[in-house]
Amino acid sequence: MNASRPPHGNFINYLLALVAIFSLNFILPRMMPGDPLHAIYGDEALVAMTPQMEAYLTEKFALNQPWSSQFTAYASGLLQGDLGYSYYYKDQVSTVIMGALPWTLLLAGLALIIATILGTALGIESGYRRGRPLDRGLIASLMFLSGFPDFFVGILLLLIFGVCLGVAPLSGATTPYSGATGLAYALDVAHHLILPLSALVLVQLGGIYLLTRNTMVSVLKERFIMTARAKGCSDSRIRYEHAGRNSLLPVVTATGMRLPQIITGALFIEIVFSYPGVGSLLSSSLDARDYPLIQGILLLVTVAVLTANLGVDLLYRRLDPRVRYAH
Amino acid sequence: MLEIKDLVVSFNRSPVLNGIDLSISPGDSLAIIGESGAGKSTLGLSIIGLVEGEVKGRIQLGQRDLLTLSEDEMRSLRGKEIGMVFQNVEDALNPLQEISDQVTEAMTVHGFKADASNRSLRLLEAVGLDRETADKFPHQMSGGEKQRALIAMALANDPQVLILDEPTASLDALTKSDILDLLRSAVAGKMALVITHDIATAAKLCNKIAVLYAGKVVETGRTEDLLSSPRHPYTRGLIRSYPNMTTTKDLQGIPGRMAHGVAGCPFHRRCTQKIEICTQQEPKLLPQKGRMIACHRGGIVPLLELDGVNISFEARRVLSDVSLTLYEGETLAVVGESGSGKTTLARAVIGLYQPDSGGITLEEKAVTKRDLDFYKTVQMIYQNPKESLSHRMNVFSLVKEPLDVQRLGSAEEKALRVKRALGEVELPADDDFLGRYPHQLSGGEAQRVAIARAMVLEPKLLIADEPTSALDASVQAKILRLLMDLQEKRGLSILFITHDLALARKVSDRLAVLHRGKIVEEGPTSAVISYPRHEYTRVLLEHASNLGDDRNSGWSDENVLQIDRRDAILSA
Amino acid sequence: MHTNPLMDVLRDPLGKAGIILLAAITLMAVFAPFLSDYSPNQYTGEIFSRPSAEHPLGTDSVGQDIWSRLLWGARTSLAVGAAVALISTICSIFIGATSAIFGGLYDRFWMRIVDAMLAIPAIIVMILVAAYLRPDLLILVLLLSAFSWPPGARILRAQTLSLKERMHVSAAATFGAGWSHILKRHIIPDLSPIIVAVMIADCRRAIFMEAGLSFLGVSDPTMVSWGKIMHQSLQFTYLDVWQWWLVPAGIALSLTLVGLSLIGFSLESAMDPRLASRPRKEIGGGSDA
Repeated sequence: MNASRPPHGNFINYLLALVAIFSLNFILPRMMPGDPLHAIYGDEALVAMTPQMEAYLTEKFALNQPWSSQFTAYASGLLQGDLGYSYYYKDQVSTVIMGALPWTLLLAGLALIIATILGTALGIESGYRRGRPLDRGLIASLMFLSGFPDFFVGILLLLIFGVCLGVAPLSGATTPYSGATGLAYALDVAHHLILPLSALVLVQLGGIYLLTRNTMVSVLKERFIMTARAKGCSDSRIRYEHAGRNSLLPVVTATGMRLPQIITGALFIEIVFSYPGVGSLLSSSLDARDYPLIQGILLLVTVAVLTANLGVDLLYRRLDPRVRYAH
Repeated sequence: MLEIKDLVVSFNRSPVLNGIDLSISPGDSLAIIGESGAGKSTLGLSIIGLVEGEVKGRIQLGQRDLLTLSEDEMRSLRGKEIGMVFQNVEDALNPLQEISDQVTEAMTVHGFKADASNRSLRLLEAVGLDRETADKFPHQMSGGEKQRALIAMALANDPQVLILDEPTASLDALTKSDILDLLRSAVAGKMALVITHDIATAAKLCNKIAVLYAGKVVETGRTEDLLSSPRHPYTRGLIRSYPNMTTTKDLQGIPGRMAHGVAGCPFHRRCTQKIEICTQQEPKLLPQKGRMIACHRGGIVPLLELDGVNISFEARRVLSDVSLTLYEGETLAVVGESGSGKTTLARAVIGLYQPDSGGITLEEKAVTKRDLDFYKTVQMIYQNPKESLSHRMNVFSLVKEPLDVQRLGSAEEKALRVKRALGEVELPADDDFLGRYPHQLSGGEAQRVAIARAMVLEPKLLIADEPTSALDASVQAKILRLLMDLQEKRGLSILFITHDLALARKVSDRLAVLHRGKIVEEGPTSAVISYPRHEYTRVLLEHASNLGDDRNSGWSDENVLQIDRRDAILSA
Repeated sequence: MHTNPLMDVLRDPLGKAGIILLAAITLMAVFAPFLSDYSPNQYTGEIFSRPSAEHPLGTDSVGQDIWSRLLWGARTSLAVGAAVALISTICSIFIGATSAIFGGLYDRFWMRIVDAMLAIPAIIVMILVAAYLRPDLLILVLLLSAFSWPPGARILRAQTLSLKERMHVSAAATFGAGWSHILKRHIIPDLSPIIVAVMIADCRRAIFMEAGLSFLGVSDPTMVSWGKIMHQSLQFTYLDVWQWWLVPAGIALSLTLVGLSLIGFSLESAMDPRLASRPRKEIGGGSDA
């Protein structure tokens, strides 16, 4: 039925994807015309760099040696967790990213949870009332909403609530220098989070809702629903226990597929709200052409997405006995 | 007592069930049979309150009219007082729940929580599923196991009404037989409604059968009666088209296709015995000799009746006290050895001989004289076609001759009818063929021309006197096939005179054995062949054509004889 | 049941709305030179001018006419969308259909690549590549196409496989029909609504990605694009220029994407009769079938 994901082979796919990204990271700067060090480190870095530093780095990346040695040097660096040095932030790339990552995780994680719960709930109710006003209304409005690019939804929320109404802060994740602690700090964080979070949830909601709703409509036509009704099951039992649970499976799969979208969506929305997460970091590194940082961020995001997908695969096996036992 | 009164179920205002009256008493098991789309499943679903269309009428269970109950009240009846076993289709069970949990749920939703899981295990055991299977998920089970689980679920609260919707479809023969045994004990003492297109299932499980056609009940009756002598033309068509081990006649279909919302009798477009009223007025379901039949003509009409016919030639009794009935659209084979009087019988009907005493009735009117109208209704074909065809006439004039005699139509119309008749018997109608003379025809062609000549008047009764005994077996097979097709299409009744019991067995619905001018045995062909009562019939059977296929024959390998016990039961 | 999902879209209100939206944007793009007196990159002599008869949407921070940039932005978006849809769908059809038809090692090879590519977040890789290359329109289209084809290839492969198994195709094969006949008479006609759906999805994704990359500021600086307009104007939210600078570009982009989504959704619903929002007439119940 909905068991679209083969449980085997996915791990290999993720591995292949990872290798592809690593290779891309390695090849791209070396394919650029001109000095490879320039390409690896970008304009800003070259200005600040001393000849000794250049010599050290050339040595470190084995840039004066054949590609195979270069690749060995690159790979061993990665394995040691060395993502390089950001000349823009004057710090290790990994340190810079780790500083920003919690905010992105907070934003994307909460958005994922809220959008999934809300989208699934709406989808189940809407699918159960197929063709009635609630269903039609939800389809039309959420279709419309999910058509909007995430950053523009963020911009609209920012303009309406931040600029026009002034009820929400325009940027940042906390009020600078407020010195608040404990509950006051948490409230401050929530106050700053609410707009970017809403934007992300609004955009992601539509897809999850629509999938759940359509699955629900299909599942309700399956014969076991009739069996359950003939048993005398109540409406709510059929809606949640029978149809609802069966509709969750593709949603779980789709959540995995959706992770890249949510994470990239979070990156874009952070840029709109100047939220100090990885997205803002990416934006400034792009402006500054801080290549090590760009590479580090993208590598991290890819690894995160692939790991999350693997997690979803494992979860799916727990949810669907057909996959659990078939292998 | 479950009583259905004037039940009408419509989808988008077009009725799918149209005025159903049925009742089931405790201990009764009623089968609903009919073609796909007749509304069988809709009927089952409307009793359990799960039909999606608009429902009118009354469904009375005890003191309650189910159609007036609220959804909540209905829900508390479902699974508790009315159980339903669905067909084991791919997704009839929730793929995410273990079987025992699904059975347990059937009890807990009605508040029977105490010990529910233990009781569900016992229930599963009772339907033949052990502990290990009870913990399985549907995708790990075989079709038969799933069907058993569905049965256990329906029985969970020991409901008084049990509805079985195609309970044996998509099961293989052996599993089906096991499931039928299980179901038979399950329906005992309950009010059971078995929805099926499988007549064998109906026969095994039910003591009564109702035949549903286009949303209407056209015939109901006790299972044995209805299956052995169907009275509604549709019922007969259904049985004729159902392959089984007891019927000996070849399969025949029903012409046309079912349509809903037909004015008049719903079956009239496919019916071969319709009269004017059938197209205008809907027949009511009325009692008729222990049955209920909805037919303006009171069911299949007797076309030809012989009542105590005696014929003597110079003091020698050739036929003595012969009484026979031939129904519309049916083949009656008269079997007997040479000199038994069978040809005399045929000639008496067509009017070549006059009976000394006794009456012949055609279409419920006594035949007193053989006028043109009589020969429009009754035609005959003979043993030796070449003799029956004048060697001076070509094919065209031969087939046209009856039309000339009856003075039917203009020259063009006649030519058209001749060509149509030739087409019906699968002969070419080109000028070359039309111009041929009998001696230029093969035996098979000549018999076809004879049949075309008989059929050109569109008769209702065809008397076939040893029509194929002069032909090769391969040609004979084709001629017989042709006659059966004509019967299926036109509702032609055939009085089939033959000495060959093996042949009669394949083409006839009923069989009469003629011995020294007397009918010694008469009945449904399969019954006469399987359980002959008269000694003479047994003798005939012993000497009938046989390719040495009985159990003791020479070629049979010992292994072939190791027939599984269940095979024997199946074919019984 | 014979259905034509493409015609159903025209009858569905959501589908109709989508087509109207898309048609409006297309008209804007086609008639851009007639709808505005300025070229999009032309300096008009005035910065941050408010909307007027001269400049319907005012001018931006470098004195360019916003209205004409909006119109030309539609051209970029639609051109990127259409080109990527075409190239990527052709790749999808070719790889998907041949994988399904040939099967074996060839099929496994391509499907492994498809799966791996589906696992990679395409936009991330696009950002990385774009950050290095600063792609112009042509490179952008090629890049987007290179990352767009895998989902379509997977769908078309699955569909071709199931068509291949279907009775009318096997029946044609038993008449002695060759692959070209089967492809032409049986597979392509049944595939066409799905191909259109794949094209719409590709087109939508390409427009979205182009806007996103431009919004991040990693595309060719000379390109006129809605994403770029938003990138530039976002820095000026403290002024009220956003009303006629930032918002119209965002709305234009959103409506284009919404239009494509609506058509895609409507088409998918039409192809899957189980999702039709009106219950169909069912006579006699399913188990009779």
